[in-house]
Formats: sequence, C-alpha cells, structure tokens
Amino acid sequence: MSLREQLKELHPMQRFRESAIGRSIWRVPDPKTPRDAAAKHWASFFMHIYPVKMRKEEIGFRYSWYLGISSLVLFLVLVATGVILMFFYVPSPQSAYLDIQRIQTDLPFGQFLRNAHRWAAHLMVFVVAAHMARVFYRGAYKPPKEFNWVVGVVLLVLTLLLSFTGYLLPWDQLAYWAITVGAAMAGFVPFLGDISKKLLLGGPEVGATTLLRFYVLHVAVLPLLLALVVTIHLWRWRKDSMLSPARTEDDLPIEEFVPVKEES
Amino acid sequence: MTDRSTVNDRLTPDPVVIENHRVLGVVPGIPPGGERKELEREEAVMVWPHLLVRHAVASLVVVGLVVLLAVLFNAPLREIANPNLTPNPEKAPWYFAALQELLAHFHPQVAGVLVPTGIIVGLAALPYIDRNPHLLPRYRKVAVATFTIFLVVWIVLTLIGFMFRGPNWGWVWPWQEWYGEL
Repeated sequence: MSLREQLKELHPMQRFRESAIGRSIWRVPDPKTPRDAAAKHWASFFMHIYPVKMRKEEIGFRYSWYLGISSLVLFLVLVATGVILMFFYVPSPQSAYLDIQRIQTDLPFGQFLRNAHRWAAHLMVFVVAAHMARVFYRGAYKPPKEFNWVVGVVLLVLTLLLSFTGYLLPWDQLAYWAITVGAAMAGFVPFLGDISKKLLLGGPEVGATTLLRFYVLHVAVLPLLLALVVTIHLWRWRKDSMLSPARTEDDLPIEEFVPVKEES
Repeated sequence: MTDRSTVNDRLTPDPVVIENHRVLGVVPGIPPGGERKELEREEAVMVWPHLLVRHAVASLVVVGLVVLLAVLFNAPLREIANPNLTPNPEKAPWYFAALQELLAHFHPQVAGVLVPTGIIVGLAALPYIDRNPHLLPRYRKVAVATFTIFLVVWIVLTLIGFMFRGPNWGWVWPWQEWYGEL
C-alpha cells in the first residue's frame, strides 16, 4: 500500500495529526503502545503536570479525598472572579466601599461574582488545611516526600496571607476592624514589632496606605508567589509519585529489587 | 532491517507488540546480570484517563459548590469603615479566631508570636522529626496522637473564638446571640 493509500484509510483526526501542522502541534505520533501513550503524555504541556502512571490505590477518593485538586480549582476560581472584580474596584478609602456597592447593584452578576469570590476564598483556607491533615494521616510526608510537605506549609501560609489581605478590600467596618485586630499581632513581635507593623500597615493604623499595600499584595505579589510555589509543589508531587517504596506486610518500606542469584 | 523512514514508521498499522512492548529485536541467551525478580508492587494505572477523569469530576463538584453558595448566600457588607467607631466585639477573620482566643488568656508575645511561629516551624519540621518509616496509623501512635490533639484543640479554640465570644470577648451561646462573621 502506498503512503497516500494508507493516509486515506485513517480517521480524519488521525489524518490531521499526521499532517505537517498536526505533527508540529502534538510532537509525537498517535500512540499504539503504552510506551507511545507515555511519550504522548510527556509531550503535552497540560498533561506533563501529571505523572504518567500512578498506583491504583492512590487515585481513589479514599486516598486523598481530592483535597489537593480542590484547592487548585478554588485558586483558579478565585483568579477568574478576582480578575473580573479588579475591573470595577479602585483601592482608595474614597472609592473602595462605593465600588463594592456598585459591583453588587449595578454590575450584571456582580453580586454573584463577589459572593463566589468570598465563599471560594473561605473554602480554600478550609480545604488547604484539610488537605494538610489528610496528607498527615496517610503519612504522605515521609521519604521521599519530606520537602514537598515543607512546600505545602509555605502554601498554607501564602493562602492565609492572601485571604487576610483580601479581607480588607471591601473597606467596611468588618474589614477594617478585622485587619486592625490581626495586624495588632504583628506589633507583638519582640524588637521588630513596631517596624513590622509599620511595614504591614504603612502607618500607625489601618489607612489609605494599608489599603493600597494590601491590594497590591492581594492582586499581584501573593498570587504570583502562590502560583510559583504551587508549580514547585506539583512538580515535586510528580517527581516523587512512583518513588515511595513498596511495603512489606509489616508496613515497612522495601528499598529495592531483590536480585535472584544465578545458579551455577 | 533498518527502515529509517519515520513517516512509514508512524503509519505502520500493526507493530509487533508483545506484552505491551513494541518488539525491536530478540537477542538469544541469558542477561549478563542474571534474572532479576521484581517484587510485586501495587498495580499502577495510566493517569489518563483513570485519574484525570476523577479530577475532572472533583473539579466540577467544587465549582458547583461555589456556585451554589454564591447563589444562596450574599457576602457580608457592613457600613463603611469608620476608624472612630470600634465595634464590640472586634473579631479577626475566622482562621485567626483560635489565636485571638489565646490572646485573651496569654501574654501577647506568647499567643501572638510564639504560638503561630511555633506552629509553622513545627509543621515544617515534622517530616524531619518523625523518622518512623511506617505509614499505617497503628504503627505510629505517637505522631497520630500528637497531631490529633493539636488539631482538636485548634478546632475547639477556633469555634470558641468564632461563635462563643461576644461583647468584651465575653462568653455567649451561639443559639442566643450570634457574633460570628465570615
């Protein structure tokens, strides 16, 4: 069969994949063996975030409760709703509160967007904490995953900071005094108390500078930092995914293959 | 047998596949390192589709939950910020409620600095302190007990600070007076 005839027999999608454009997009041919499927997995930008294979018991609900992926989805929801809210919000004491009122009353689906951002934020703090507890109870911080647990602790702190900085932005009584109470704790740091509080608030008390500071941290610095650390977290998760050693019946790790001696 | 035509390679409809491997050649004899026996490991599956489909479902459930909450409950918005009008009680966000509750009982440098720093450092150090190789809870009673006690104490303190505290940080029953804010 000539090449032309072979091409004609292929499915249209497959034919597109075999074209010059298709090959430039997918980089690897259509998979025929599991090894090809793995190569295709690696070659895909979106898929390569995941490992190619995982232990069967690790993909079920009982293992992870899907709390890690839920945290990530909540972060994405927060980015999406947050970006839309940014178009209608100016971080100054004169306009912040009125902007929130206007978002709720004048913007189509504005109230819904704000609600979704708020509840997703609370949920994210809760789910990240629950993720950590679940990882603890299944002992998933043990070798070779110790460092990824530490990265996770950093992510917990970043999540709390993101939620805390966002809390001030509506500039209502609830926001103002919650931040006043929270920031008071920074003042108790020995020796550096005054400096750390001043650095956080931009003055002796919560004011216009604080609002701007929290806004910039909330919409730029912290989300970018979180995205970077999440990337490292996922990368380590993938790298370590199949490396945890298999277990004996006494739940002790088996380090390597046992070579069978050649009989001679 | 060296066909270097990559296009033909791609189009070969049926490569010789034995036990899921494309056969490139067969070498007679025994391997120089001797036969190796691999201990039985838990069965591994391809992430696509097994895990990705589950993750897609989990994602939809999470998004659905957020949509449901956003439709049912409005985010709170009180009066405009007024630095001269301190509300009573003054409450920190709920995830700091446990710390705020501790502040009512201990010196600020203990409750506001030492405890949060200790928790963060302690959590980060956990994998380096707990070198017990076991995974099952019944073989790691100390670690599980310690963590569970910490978790329960923290949840109780959070609930107290969030729901059971009213004016002047006095005790209230949430079914009588409600001062929790989200």
